[in-house]
Amino acid sequence: MTNEKNEYRVSPLGKTAYWVVVVIMLAIGAVGLYWRLTQGHKLANYGQLIVWGLWVAMYIYFIGLSAGAFLISALVYAFGVERFRPIARLALFTALISLLMALLNIWFDLGHMARFYEVYTRPNFQSMMAWMVWLYTAYFILLLVEFWFEMREDLVHRGQEPGVVGLVCRILALGSKAVDAETRRRDQRVVRVLGAIGVPLAIMFHGGVGALFGVVSARPAWHSGLFPLLFLVSALVSGGGLLLALYAMLAPNRKSEEYKTLIFDLGRLVLFLVLLDGLFTFAEYSIALYGAIPSDVAPLLKTMTGPFWYVFWIGQVGLGLVIPTVLLAWKRTRTNPFWVTVAGFSIVLAFVGVRLNIVIPPLSVPEIQGLVEAVPSARMTTQYAPSSMEWFLAIGIIGLGLAMFAIGYYLLPVKPHQGKEATL
Amino acid sequence: MEYTPVVAQMKNQIVRMMEDLERALQKPPSERRWGMVIDLSKCVACDACTVSCKAENKTPPGVNYTLVIKEEVGTYPNVREVFLPRPCMQCENPPCVDVCPVSATWKNEEGVVVIDYDVCIGCRYCITACPYGARTFDFGDWYTKNTPMLAPYETAPTFEYGEERVRQDDVSPIGNVRKCNFCIQRLHEGLLPACINDCIGRARYFGDLNDPDSLVSELLRERYSFRLKDELGTSPKVFYLS
Amino acid sequence: MSTKDPIQETLTERKITRRAFIKTSAVVGGSLAVASSVDHAFRQMAGFSQPHFAGVQAAEGYPLNNAENIIYSVCLQCHTSCTIKGKILDGVLVKIDGNPYSPMNMLPQLSYDTPPAQAARVDAKLCPKGQAGVQSLYDPYRITKVLKRAGKRGENKWEVISFDQAINEIVNGGTFADGTTTPGLKEIWAVRDPDLMAELKADSMAVAAGDMTLDEFKSKHADHLDLLIDPDHPDLGPKNNQFVFQAGRIEHGRKEFAKRWLKDAFGSVNWYEHTTICEQSHHIAFQQMTNQYKGEGKWSGGKTHLKPDFANAEMVMFFGTGAFEANFGPTPMSELVTWSLTYRNMKMAVVDPRLSKTASKAKWWLPVKPGTDAALALALGRWIVENERYDAAYLVNANKAAADADGETSWTNATWLVKIENGKPTRLLRPNEAGQGDLDGFVVSQGGSLIAFDPNDAENPVEGDLFAEGVVNGIQYKSAFQLYKEETMAHSLEEWSEICGIPVRKIEEVAREFTSHGKRVGVDLYRGPVQHTNGYYTAAAIIMLNVLVGNAGWVGGMGPGGSHWHEDGSKSGQPFNIVKGMHPGKLGSYGVTLTREKWHYEKSTLFKRDGYPAKRPWYPYTGNVYQEIIPSAADGYPYPIKALFLHKGTPGYASPAGNPTLAAIADPNIIPLVIADDVVIGETSMYADYLFPDTAIWERWGTPHTTPAVQAKTSKMRQPIIDPLVEKVTVFGQEQPLGMEAIMLAIAEKLGLPGYGVNGFGDGMDFKAAEDYFLRMAANLAFGDKEDGSEAVPEADEEEFRIFREARRHLPKAVFDEERWKKVVGDESLWRRVVYLLNRGGRFEDFGKVYKGEKLAHPFKGLFNIFVDNVAAGVHSLTGEHFYGLPFFEPTKDAAGNELPQENADYPFHLFTFKHIYGGQSRTPGNYWAQLGVASENFVLMNKLDADRLGLKEGDEVKLVSPTNPEGVWKLPNGEARPVVGKVKPIQGIRPGTVAASWHFGHWAYGASDFVIDGETVKGDPRRAAGLCPNAVMYEDPVLKNVSLTDPIGGSASFYDTPLNVVRA
Ligand SMILES: Nc1nc2c(c(=O)[nH]1)N[C@H]1C(S)=C(S)[C@@H](COP(=O)(O)OP(=O)(O)OC[C@H]3O[C@@H](n4cnc5c(=O)[nH]c(N)nc54)[C@H](O)[C@@H]3O)O[C@H]1N2
Ligand SMILES: Nc1nc2c(c(=O)[nH]1)N[C@H]1C(S)=C(S)[C@@H](COP(=O)(O)OP(=O)(O)OC[C@H]3O[C@@H](n4cnc5c(=O)[nH]c(N)nc54)[C@H](O)[C@@H]3O)O[C@H]1N2
Ligand code: SF4
Ligand code: SF4
Ligand code: SF4
Ligand code: SF4
Ligand code: SF4
Ligand SMILES: [Mo]
Repeated sequence: MTNEKNEYRVSPLGKTAYWVVVVIMLAIGAVGLYWRLTQGHKLANYGQLIVWGLWVAMYIYFIGLSAGAFLISALVYAFGVERFRPIARLALFTALISLLMALLNIWFDLGHMARFYEVYTRPNFQSMMAWMVWLYTAYFILLLVEFWFEMREDLVHRGQEPGVVGLVCRILALGSKAVDAETRRRDQRVVRVLGAIGVPLAIMFHGGVGALFGVVSARPAWHSGLFPLLFLVSALVSGGGLLLALYAMLAPNRKSEEYKTLIFDLGRLVLFLVLLDGLFTFAEYSIALYGAIPSDVAPLLKTMTGPFWYVFWIGQVGLGLVIPTVLLAWKRTRTNPFWVTVAGFSIVLAFVGVRLNIVIPPLSVPEIQGLVEAVPSARMTTQYAPSSMEWFLAIGIIGLGLAMFAIGYYLLPVKPHQGKEATL
Repeated sequence: MEYTPVVAQMKNQIVRMMEDLERALQKPPSERRWGMVIDLSKCVACDACTVSCKAENKTPPGVNYTLVIKEEVGTYPNVREVFLPRPCMQCENPPCVDVCPVSATWKNEEGVVVIDYDVCIGCRYCITACPYGARTFDFGDWYTKNTPMLAPYETAPTFEYGEERVRQDDVSPIGNVRKCNFCIQRLHEGLLPACINDCIGRARYFGDLNDPDSLVSELLRERYSFRLKDELGTSPKVFYLS
Repeated sequence: MSTKDPIQETLTERKITRRAFIKTSAVVGGSLAVASSVDHAFRQMAGFSQPHFAGVQAAEGYPLNNAENIIYSVCLQCHTSCTIKGKILDGVLVKIDGNPYSPMNMLPQLSYDTPPAQAARVDAKLCPKGQAGVQSLYDPYRITKVLKRAGKRGENKWEVISFDQAINEIVNGGTFADGTTTPGLKEIWAVRDPDLMAELKADSMAVAAGDMTLDEFKSKHADHLDLLIDPDHPDLGPKNNQFVFQAGRIEHGRKEFAKRWLKDAFGSVNWYEHTTICEQSHHIAFQQMTNQYKGEGKWSGGKTHLKPDFANAEMVMFFGTGAFEANFGPTPMSELVTWSLTYRNMKMAVVDPRLSKTASKAKWWLPVKPGTDAALALALGRWIVENERYDAAYLVNANKAAADADGETSWTNATWLVKIENGKPTRLLRPNEAGQGDLDGFVVSQGGSLIAFDPNDAENPVEGDLFAEGVVNGIQYKSAFQLYKEETMAHSLEEWSEICGIPVRKIEEVAREFTSHGKRVGVDLYRGPVQHTNGYYTAAAIIMLNVLVGNAGWVGGMGPGGSHWHEDGSKSGQPFNIVKGMHPGKLGSYGVTLTREKWHYEKSTLFKRDGYPAKRPWYPYTGNVYQEIIPSAADGYPYPIKALFLHKGTPGYASPAGNPTLAAIADPNIIPLVIADDVVIGETSMYADYLFPDTAIWERWGTPHTTPAVQAKTSKMRQPIIDPLVEKVTVFGQEQPLGMEAIMLAIAEKLGLPGYGVNGFGDGMDFKAAEDYFLRMAANLAFGDKEDGSEAVPEADEEEFRIFREARRHLPKAVFDEERWKKVVGDESLWRRVVYLLNRGGRFEDFGKVYKGEKLAHPFKGLFNIFVDNVAAGVHSLTGEHFYGLPFFEPTKDAAGNELPQENADYPFHLFTFKHIYGGQSRTPGNYWAQLGVASENFVLMNKLDADRLGLKEGDEVKLVSPTNPEGVWKLPNGEARPVVGKVKPIQGIRPGTVAASWHFGHWAYGASDFVIDGETVKGDPRRAAGLCPNAVMYEDPVLKNVSLTDPIGGSASFYDTPLNVVRA
C-alpha cells in the first residue's frame, strides 16, 4: 500500500473505496439536509429536556479536534518543538477542516439558521456562547491566515504545475509570487506570531466551550470548575489521537527510524494526555458520586448504567482509555504503524462518545422532579437517541469533511513529510 | 346571634386583582413589579391554567409555558398527592438572560423576562440555563397536522407580546424558544394573565409586588411563602403559599 | 421516546394532507376546508396563499376582550354545563372562558346589570375541558354531511347522501349497497288520531287493571287491532312504540324538544336518556327519600339532588365523588371548596377506594372496599345513634307545623310508625289500621299513646317518640327511627369495619367530627357508592347521615341549589307555555315502555301471562334504564322494536358489559332501522344505517339546568357562537344548520306530524326551525316566573343592541336573522328583554340574595322519608318479594336476586373506574390540549403492594379479565376482538385489592381508526386510541346474559361490582 521510497500512496482501489464511502455519506447527508430544510426541527429527536443532541455533541467534538490539532501544530510553530514539524502543516489543515465541520453542525442545530449574524449585531457580553462565536471567528481567520503563510511558498511552487493542482494553487497563492529567503523568513515569522497568538485563543475558546457548559448552574453535572480544563485536555487528546493516526498512516518511509521516533514521541504525548484526561474524568466522576447529591449523581449513573452504558464503558473507557493506553505503552505495538493507527482512531472514535456523554446525560435530569410527568409529550422525555435526520445530516457533514480533507490533501501541500525538508 | 354566611361578604378576587392592575398601570413601567402568588393549599391540579395558557398563546404540542407537577407522597394508607404549578418564575436575576448570545431575551422594565421572536436564533442555550425548566423550544409541531384538517385553533393569530402573529411552518415563533411572559399583551390592556382568570381553585394570584395594597402583597404579608430553588439567587417573582 | 422515522413521516404527511383536502369536504365542512390551511406548501399550490386570518381583521391591540367579539353560551364537555364566554375572531371561536355574570364561574359573580362592554373585560374561571371545547368544536374528524352506510352495519364504509334523500328513505324505507332494506317510519307511525290514541289508552289500561276483558277490548277496537303491537296485550301500546329514541347525555331544551316529537307527535312512549349508566340510584334515593305525601297513598315531588353549601359548611363528607375532578362539577365547586378549606378551615372526609384529588386535600381519606359504602354509612349512623349525637329536636317533628315551630324547613318521618309483619317492617301504619279514625295520614306515638296526623298540616304541630314500638289492633309497629337504629345495630362497629375495610378509630373520628358542627355539615355522594346493585339502599344509608343532623335548608347544610326560572313557560303569565301546551293536534302516547320502567309488573297483562319471575326485570321506581334498551329489544321483551334513533349516546361503549349491546345493534334482524346523529363517527353510532351530523354544543341552542352546588338561581342559555360547520338544509322552507332539531323537523314535515310547520305552535306561531322553539324559551326566561311580569329582565338599550348585532356579524341568515328572531318573540319589549338576556348568556340571581340569615334562600322544604313507604310498596319482578323501606347493607346480587361472590381465587381483584378532570365522558379524545395534552393515556392503577406481589412494574402491559369476560376483549361485531389491555401503574393511593382505570380512553372509533367515505379512506389518529376502556369486562348479569348487573330499584347499571384478574398481556 505504501510507496516505500518517498511518499505515501493510496492504492487506486483504496481511493475508489474512499470516494464511494464519501459519496454515499454525502448522499445520506443530502437526504438529511432535505429533511432539515423542509421540516425544520420537527424530525429531530432532541426535545424540551434534552434540548441538545447529536449535533451539539458533534460540534464540541469537532471543535475539540480542531483545538487539539491546532495546539499540536503550535508546538512546532510557536514553541519550536521541531520534532513534530512533519505533521505540523497537516495539523493546521486538520484544525481548519474540523472547525468547518463543527460550525456546520452547530449551524444546522439553530432554530433560525439565517439569523446567526445577530451574534455580531446584538452582542451579549455575558453570554459564553457569544464569546465562543467571536473567538471562533477570530480563530478561523487566524487559522486561514496562518495556514496561508505556512503554505505560501509551496503554493507558488505548485502554481507552476500544469493542470488542476497548479490552477488551484495559483489561485490560492493570491497573486503572491516571490519566493526568496526574505519572504520565507517573513512567512515563518508570521506563522510563528500567529501560532503564538493562536495558542491562547485556542485555549480560550475551547476552555470556553467547557465554560459554556460549566457556567450553567442549572445543570449540576455541568456546573463544575473542572469543565474548562477537562475540555482542554480532552481536546488535546482527541486532536493528538487524530494526528497520530493520520501520521502513522499517511507518513512516508514508514520503516525509517525517524518515523518510529516520531510516532513514539507523539504516541507518548498522546498517552500522557489520555492518562491525564482519565485522571480528570475520574476526579469529576468520583467527586460527584461521592457527594451523592442526587442531581449530580443521576446523570453519571445514567451515563454508566443507562440504556447507553456501552458508550461509556466500551467507548469512553474501552476505546478511549484502555486500548490506547495499552497500544501506546506496550513496546510491541507503540511503534507499529498499524497499531498506532488503531490507537489513534480508537481515541478519535471514543471521543464522539465522550462528547455525547457530556451533552446528553446531564440534560436528561429534569430541573424539577416530576416535570417530565407533568405534561406527557414525546419531546418531554429523559430518553434520547438521535433521529434518522440527525444521523443523516451528521454523517453528511462528516462525509463533507472527508471530501474536503481528501481534496485538500490532493491539491494542497499538506502531506506529512520527513525531517525538516519541505514537501516537494 | 344571626350568622352571616361568610361568602356573602366576599369581594371577587378577580375584580380585586383587576383593580390592582389598573392602579399599577397608572405608574411608570419601571415602578411596577409584576409577581404571581400561587396558593398550594388551594391548587387542585386541574390544569385549567395549563390549558388556558395553551389556548391564549396557541402553543403547540410540547410547548408549555406553565404546567402542574403532581406527586404522590407517603405510603398507603398514609398518602397524599401534592401539586405544584410551575410557570416561568420571572427571575429577578434570570440566568436564562445572561447566556443568550444575541440578546434576544431580557428582563424588561416591568421585570418580565421576554423573548424577541424575530431575533432569537433558536440555539436553546437559555433552556439549559433555566433552573426551572420554564423554557421550551417550538419545534414546529402541530396538534392536528396529520389529521384530515389543520384545525383553525392552531392557525388563529395570537397576540403574544402585543403582536398579531399567525403560526406558520418555518416562521417565528417556530424555531424559537418560548416561555411564559405573564401575558403582557393582556396586562397592558388591563387584563390579568389568562391562567389567573381560569384557575378554578383560585390558587393563582397576580399583581404588582411594589404596591402594598395589591392582593398579592397582602397575601405575601399574611401568609408564609417560599420560592423555588431560592438558594440559587435567581430571586423568582413567583411565590408559593403553603 | 420513540425514534421517529422521518421517511415515513414525510411520506404520510404529504399523502394525508393532499387527500385531506379532498376528504375534508366529507368529514369537515366545506367552509372550513378553505379555512383549514392544510399544509403551507400545498395551500400555496391550491391557490390559497394566506392562512385564513392574516389581514382579514387587523387587530386593534388585543381584540379578544371586546364585547363585539364575544357571545355567551354554555359548555357541555361534561354535563355540569357551565356558562361560558366564547371569544370569536373572524368567525372562529378561538378561546373559551367562564361567564363573569354567572355564579358558576365567579365567586361572587358580576352583578347582572353590568354593561356587556365591561363584563367583556372580565374572564371568569373555567375547567380545562371547558376551555378545550374549541378542540371538540373544530375536531378534524367531525362529520358535516349525512352518511349512509355503504357496507354492512359497523363496517365503517359510508357514502355521502343529501339530507333530503336521507329523510325520504327514513320515512319511506331505504335500500343499501349490500341489498338489505330498512322499513320506513311511515309504517311504524300506526296510530295517528289523537282521539283514537286516547281511547285505546284508556281501554288498554282498563284491561290491564282488570276493569275490561280482553274480548271486550278486541271487539270494541276490532278495526284497530292491527295498529297494536300485540292485540292480546293491548297495554303494550300501539306500533308507534316500536320506534325508540335513545339519547346519551341530552340536555334540557333538547330533551323537551325531542319528547314533543317522539311522545307527543309520533306517539311512542319509548323516549330514553342515559341516566342509569350515570348515577340514577343517587337520584332515585334522594327522590324517594324526599317524596312528599300527596294523599291516597301517593307520593311524589321528591328532589333528585341536594348538595352541601360548600361555601359555609364546616365539615363535608364525600362518598365516591369529590369536588375537583368530576361531580357537578369542578368549575363551580372547586373554588367554593378550596376557599373554605383555606380560609375557613373546613374539614373534609373522602370515602373512595382511590386517593382522589379531593382526598388529597382531605383530613380523612377512607379507602372503602368498593360496594360497601352502606356498611360504612350505617357504622357512622350507629355511632351517632349510640352516642345520641343526632338532632333529636329536629327528628321528633312529625309534620310541617312542628318543623315551622322549630324554624326548620324540613321534617322527617322518624317518629312515624311502621307496621311489622313476620318480624319485617312492611308499610307505614295508617290511622284507620290503628283505630285512629279515617284521616288520610299517619300515626306517631307520643309517650306511648298513638296519634294520627297529617304530615302536611301547617297548623297543628305534631311531635312523636323517636323510639317507639308496640302492638295496636294486633298489628305490631315500630317507629321509623327505631327501625333505622336497629339497622345500624345489625352489626357491631367492628363488624361493620370488617365489611367496609375502614378502621373503627377512623369511623369514630369522622362521626364525631361530623356531629360537632351543628347543621353546618353535609354529605355529598355521587356515582361511586351507587353504581352498584345495592346502589339505592346505599344512597339511602348515606343520605340518612344528613337527615340525622337535620342540615337541610341551613346555611352550610344541604340544599337543592338556586335552581332556575321556568323556560318551559309553565308558570302562569309566562308568554309561551311551550312544553305543556302549544301543541295543536298532539297525538300523545301510551303503553308499557320497552324497559318496563315506571310500571309495576303486577299491573301489566304480561304478569297475568307469565307470573313470577318476569322474563326481564320491571322497574317501578326509576326511568331511563339506558343499558336495558337494546338488550330488551334483542330479547323482544316485552316486544320487538322496528327502529332506533340514537342521539348523542354510545350505549355499547359507555355502559358496562356492552359487548351484547354492540352485537344487537349491528343485527338488522333485531333493529331493522338504526338512525343516529353524532358529531364524530362514534363507537356505537358507527352501526347506524343513516348517520347525521349534529351541530356541536357551541353551534346550537339549549336551556340546561343548574347544579345544586350553585346557590343562586341560574338560567343558562345555550346559543350559537359560530356558524355551524355542518351543512345547511332546508326544512319547511327555512334554511337551517343540520342537527337534531332539523332532523326531527324534516321527518315531521315528511310524515306530517302534528304541531310542526306553519302554525305549529298555534295560530300565527310557526315551528320551522330550532330557534322557533328556543327563542320562545328565552322569552319565558326573560319574562321570569312572576305572573305580573315584575320579574322580567331589563330591556336592551341601543348600545346593547349594537353589541348584540356586532357580535353576530359573522353569522349567516340561516343562523342569525334579527328580523325573524324578533318575529318569533313577537312583542317588541319582550324582544328587547330577550336581547338583554342573550347578551349575558342567561339570567342569574344576585349573589347577595342566596342566603337569608342562617337559612339558604332556596332551601329544601318538606318531608324526609327515613322509612320509604313508596318503595316498600313495590315488588321485585323476578323474586316476587317486596322491596325494603329502610337503608341497609346488601351484597352484590344478580337480576334474580342471587348473591354474587365478590373477589374469588381466580379473580382476586375488584374493578372500578373514575373520571379525571381532563376527560368529558368518552367524547373528548380530540381535546389535544386537555385530555391528551395533560394525560395522554390512562393506566391500570393498582396498589404497589399488589403490583409487587404480581411482579408487575410500571409500564408493563396487562389484560383485564373477569368471570363474564374471561378473554378480556371487546368483541366487535365485525369480528374484531380488541383486548382490554393497558399499562400498569403501581401507586400508593389506591386500596390494595382494587384495580382502577379512568374513563375517557381506549377508543377504536371516534377518529381513532380509519374509515371510508365515498371509497376514500380517512386515516384515523392513533393518539385517540390511547389507553383502555374497561367497560367490556364489567360483570354481565348471569341471569339475563346480555346486559350488565343492575340495581332493581334505582336502575343504576353496576360499574363497580366486578371481580377481576390482571394478567400479563
Ligand atoms: N371531568 C369530568 N367531570 C364530569 C363528567 C365527566 O365526564 N368528566 N361527567 C359528569 C357526569 S355525567 C357525572 S355522572 C358526574 C360523575 O361524577 P362522580 O360521581 O364524582 O365521578 P366518577 O369519577 O364517575 O365517580 C366515581 C368515583 O367513585 C369512586 N368509587 C368507585 N367505586 C366506589 C365505591 O364502591 N365506593 C366509593 N365510595 N367510591 C367509589 C371512584 O374512585 C371515583 O372517584 O361527573 C360529571 N362531571
Ligand atoms: N368506565 C366508565 N364508564 C362510564 C362512566 C365512567 O365513569 N366510567 N361514566 C358514565 C356516565 S356518568 C355517563 S353520563 C355515561 C355517558 O355515556 P354516553 O352519553 O353514552 O357517552 P358520551 O361519551 O357522553 O357520548 C356519547 C356519544 O355522543 C356523541 N356526541 C358528542 N357530542 C355530541 C353532540 O353534540 N351531538 C350529538 N348528536 N352527539 C354527540 C359522541 O360521539 C359519542 O359517541 O357514561 C358512563 N360510562
Ligand atoms: S424561570 Fe427560567 S426562564 Fe424564567 S426567568 Fe427564571 S431562568 Fe428565565
Ligand atoms: S434560544 Fe433564543 S433566546 Fe434562547 S439563548 Fe438562544 S437566541 Fe437567546
Ligand atoms: S401568565 Fe400567561 S403566559 Fe404565563 S403561564 Fe399564565 S397564561 Fe401562560
Ligand atoms: S388552574 Fe389553579 S387550581 Fe388548577 S392546577 Fe392551575 S393553579 Fe392549580
Ligand atoms: S365542568 Fe364541565 S361543563 Fe363546566 S366547564 Fe368543565 S367541562 Fe364544561
Ligand atoms: Mo353521568
